[in-house]
Amino acid sequence: MEKPENWSELTWQEKREKRFAWWRAAHGINFISKEARAKHDARIDRMIKAIKIEIPDRVPVNIAAGSFPAYYAGYDLKTIMYDVEKMREAWMKFARDFDTDSLGWMSPGNGLVNDIMGSKVYRWPGDGLPDDASMIQFVETDYMKTDEYDAFLDNPTDYIIRYFLPRTYGVFAPLAKLSPLSSFMGVSNQMMMAAGDPDFRKMARTLLKAYNETIKWGRVAAECTRICREMGYPAGGGGIALAPFDTVADMLRGTHGSVMDMYRQPDKLLEACEKILKFTLKSALETADAGDSPMVFIPMHKGDDMFMSDKQFEKFYWPSYKKLLMGLIDEGLVPSPVVDGTYNRRLEYLRDLPRASVVWTFEKTDMALAKKVLGGHACIAGNVTGSLMCTGTPEDVTRYCRWLIDTCAPGGGYILSMGVSVDKVNPENFQAMIKTAKEYGVYRK
Amino acid sequence: MEAKKKWSDLSWQEKREERFKRWLSPTDVKFVSREAEKLYKKRVTRFIKAVKMEEPDRVPVMLPAHVYPAYYAGADFHTIMYDYDVMRRAWVKFMDDFGDMDTFSGPGLIPSGKISEALNSKVQKLPGIGLPPDSSSNQFVEGEYMYADEYDLLMRDPSDFSIRVMLPRTTGLFESFAKLPPLRSLMMGAGWVGALADPDIRKTFQTLMDLTDEYKKWQAAVAEIRDIAISRGYATMFGGGPMAGAPFDHFADMLRGTRGIIMDMYRQPQKLHEAMEFWLNLMIDTSVKNFPMTNCPIIMMPLHKGDDMFMSDKQFETFYWPYLRRLFLALIEEGLVPMPFAEGRYTNRLKQITDMPRSSVVWYFDQTDMAEAKKILGNVSCISGNVPSSLVMTGTPKQVKENCRQLIETCAPGGGYILTGGASVEKGNIANLRAMMEAAYEYGVY
Repeated sequence: MEKPENWSELTWQEKREKRFAWWRAAHGINFISKEARAKHDARIDRMIKAIKIEIPDRVPVNIAAGSFPAYYAGYDLKTIMYDVEKMREAWMKFARDFDTDSLGWMSPGNGLVNDIMGSKVYRWPGDGLPDDASMIQFVETDYMKTDEYDAFLDNPTDYIIRYFLPRTYGVFAPLAKLSPLSSFMGVSNQMMMAAGDPDFRKMARTLLKAYNETIKWGRVAAECTRICREMGYPAGGGGIALAPFDTVADMLRGTHGSVMDMYRQPDKLLEACEKILKFTLKSALETADAGDSPMVFIPMHKGDDMFMSDKQFEKFYWPSYKKLLMGLIDEGLVPSPVVDGTYNRRLEYLRDLPRASVVWTFEKTDMALAKKVLGGHACIAGNVTGSLMCTGTPEDVTRYCRWLIDTCAPGGGYILSMGVSVDKVNPENFQAMIKTAKEYGVYRK
Repeated sequence: MEAKKKWSDLSWQEKREERFKRWLSPTDVKFVSREAEKLYKKRVTRFIKAVKMEEPDRVPVMLPAHVYPAYYAGADFHTIMYDYDVMRRAWVKFMDDFGDMDTFSGPGLIPSGKISEALNSKVQKLPGIGLPPDSSSNQFVEGEYMYADEYDLLMRDPSDFSIRVMLPRTTGLFESFAKLPPLRSLMMGAGWVGALADPDIRKTFQTLMDLTDEYKKWQAAVAEIRDIAISRGYATMFGGGPMAGAPFDHFADMLRGTRGIIMDMYRQPQKLHEAMEFWLNLMIDTSVKNFPMTNCPIIMMPLHKGDDMFMSDKQFETFYWPYLRRLFLALIEEGLVPMPFAEGRYTNRLKQITDMPRSSVVWYFDQTDMAEAKKILGNVSCISGNVPSSLVMTGTPKQVKENCRQLIETCAPGGGYILTGGASVEKGNIANLRAMMEAAYEYGVY
């Protein structure tokens, strides 16, 4: 978005209003019809009211489709990860048939690019998982070793280039051969040496191949996004961030490592969280500024009730995470965390944030409790479960959605949605969910 | 049989002995003859004894030759930057003609002309590249490449700062790197792919790849000359390769410039301290700890801004020495021998640099008063210096020899002295270099 000149003098609410207005204006979008434009505006108004805990026309509804569009179009995940035209077909069919309030789908990774890059962090059908696997698997481990905190803290870029990337991507293996890149004085010689090393040359060729594939894929994805927006879906993609603790626990040290660190080197762990916080905030703000939407997606993992104690949450997870959220809020953005697992014990902490500043999407959290603790304070969303979607009947889904609306919608500040994404689902279950929001979720004066 | 002690359990002296052993018996050298090998060991022993402040057979000599062999062979700096055959022939001719020297180094500090053109450095001017083609030395262009408010940026992520900020500011070829996204992102796999979309960044990498053959040629030529020198029995003094210098100089020379650093000493002294502390620890962690076993444990370190006239005693004591001293201690702990080359004058500093372990450092002086140096440092470390370059370039052999005699008489008694020039010379009468050797033979025998 384009910021006004007096941006820094605005309050966070004023900044947010500017971002909302930009979002709603949909600059550069040629809607396919007047109805599409009207639908677009209505969707955004509905979302904004929910965020601000005001009363919209009805409860907004979002579905997390996961790999469902592939199966819905008669393909499977592997097919649409490797065939961009089939990916397009699946995406468009899904967007046309399910009338939700935001575009609930992002294309899964490009299988070919993943193959070329030799990603060790993901397994997918076609590489490491059976061909008929319906989801992508993240491979967690201690990519950063116990004694490497200082190397990371003192020189993060150096660490990522020389240690982390070679360990996580096959293509980057040669980077491990580099010497430290701390001073610019030695870098040009190093690069020249690298440029002559057959391993580095292969790396460059491989990256170019990946680049060409990415371009092909990206063109189609951009086209699909544009068409969806022209159909009246609000812009998504305002940015993505991870809680600092999750960055350490998911990406660097793994569950095992991060639990050990909480006991054996708590100070280093906290120092890393603070450092990561700064980088994450900076890059999230840049991504958000480059896009049209004020929503910043934050998948959350290791802070859940069962993973750590309240005391640990209070010490290791919450302080840097809260700063991240505050940093986003202060810039007029709307953090939209999706809380995996259960947060029944954590809800009180979430009240530390300004009123109506965040949208919390819950997976297994008790929604009645969430409404009780956060109602009137923060917009909540959730929590149609994966199991209900995958195994229930449309009637079951309707019944549960009605219960959710009865429980969470009064007074505003509720979005009907799922806490997880799904793969093979009876499409009628999605339709039942959407229908319930449209009919049962209407606010009556 | 006695079990071998673990490296980490050794004292610094024991570690140094291990490194000295390797210096004496390099593993990857084929000597041209038994005689050459014997000479090599004799010469290295001479230096080791000097370092340890024991009395060798005679005072060892380091000739201040640098780029001299090029001019001696009728070539010049500019020519050998481009023609590696001429370079090799010149260095070999010098060895052939000169004969006995205690040490001789290859032309590793003479960069390749083609590569330098392509790099388009704003920091380094060279003959034909920013300087007249007949210049006989390179010129460093100091400037405020890092701004006063960027210390935090550097400390937050030094490699990011070096790649995306300093390289583009200092080197034409890398201007495109200013457009790179931060490379520290954990999901940067995809980001790197995206960076390749930029035609300027692609061009930079393409240029680097195009330079590869030239770089290999240059490297091979330099390595060949170095190998020839060792195989003929000349002791190598450059085992560690280029090492960072004093932490203060890092900021003063490379980043903030003289003007900037002086302002910082007054306006943001704490920031400067914080940054030097950070930099020192980073250097120790990444470049000093676990330093590999190399053919020579001497670490040459040119020093610049600590000289008598650049700063006050108090500033030296506050800003310069504490960090440099700790860098020395870290090197010493690894069994290495720091050999600081104190450019300019260090006469006032002598009393400030005595708090080091005995015989752990070799001080190489340029214009320092050597009698004072011997008096003050004589019981602390080996000293080295300092026939004036002007004398070697313009004086008569007799004058040079006389100067060397005085130096030897002043500095050699009791051991711990290496005879050398104050700085290197490029041109001049070869008889003046011979005069230095003759002085060592004649007056320097213990």
